[in-house]
Amino acid sequence: MTVVETLLVFLAAPLAVYLLLWALTYLPGGRKRQGVQYRPGQSWDHEPVWYEPQPENAPTHAAGEGDTQAVGSSLYGETAAIGSGDGAGPGHGGHGSHGATAITAGAPTPASVGPLGGARGTW
Amino acid sequence: MTRVLHAEPHDTGTVDTAPNRADEGYDTVFSYRELARLDEALTMSSRETGLRFTLYIGDLGKQTRLRAEELHARGGDPANSVLLAVSPGQRVIEVVTGPSAARRLPDRACALAVLSMTNSFASGDLVGGVVNGLRQLSDQAGHPRLARDH
Repeated sequence: MTVVETLLVFLAAPLAVYLLLWALTYLPGGRKRQGVQYRPGQSWDHEPVWYEPQPENAPTHAAGEGDTQAVGSSLYGETAAIGSGDGAGPGHGGHGSHGATAITAGAPTPASVGPLGGARGTW
Repeated sequence: MTRVLHAEPHDTGTVDTAPNRADEGYDTVFSYRELARLDEALTMSSRETGLRFTLYIGDLGKQTRLRAEELHARGGDPANSVLLAVSPGQRVIEVVTGPSAARRLPDRACALAVLSMTNSFASGDLVGGVVNGLRQLSDQAGHPRLARDH
C-alpha cells in the first residue's frame, strides 16, 4: 500500500462521507416546514385567530334539496340560507355558519351571562 | 380597443361562494396538518361533551383575563362555551368557562389542563399542548347524558 493509497483510504474516503452527511443535513432545500415554529419568548405578531368547532349536525351527504349548489359545497352540504348573512361574527350566527375556520374578531358585543369560571396559566 | 384588453378581472363568486377570510388569507401560523389536528380536537371534544370549545390565539392586551372574558361573551352561546385564549407573545393562557359549562368543568380541572398545556407551550409545542388540554377538559366534562344520570 503506497502512501497515496493510504491517504485516500484513511483520509479522503472518511472525509467524503463526512462531507456528504453534512451537506445532506445542513444545505438548504431539504425538508420544508409549513407554518411557524413557535419558540417560547419570541414575539407573536400574527393576526389573532379564533378557531371554532365544526357545527354539531353538519350533514356530510352530497348537496341536495335546499342545499347550495355551489361547486365544492357538497363536502359540507350547507343549507342555502347559511352564508347569506354578512358573516361578520359568531354572535348572531350561533352554530352552523362557521366551521373550524379563522374568524375575525368583530365589534364587541359583550353580554353578561353570569359567573364565569376558568383558569389562567403562564409559561 | 385597448380598454377591452385592460378590462378589470371580476370575481364571479356569489354571496355563498365568495372567498372568505380563511380562503384568501390562509394563515401561515400553522401547517395544514396542525390545523387538521386543531380542527379535530375542537370538533370532537365539542361533540363529545355538548359544550362548545373555541380556541383563540393572539394577543390579549394588558388585562388578559378581561379581554378573554370579553371574547368569551362575544362568541356564540356563552353559557355553554369554553374559550381557550392563548397569547404566545405574552406567554399567557386563559381558560374561560360559561356558567353552565363551569358546573361540569370546575376551576380545578381547568387549572390542571392549563398546567399540562403550559408544559407543552414552554417546550414550544403550541398545537400539541392545545390538543392535549382539550382532551383533558373533555374527559373531565364527560358526556352530557352520563352527567345527567348522576
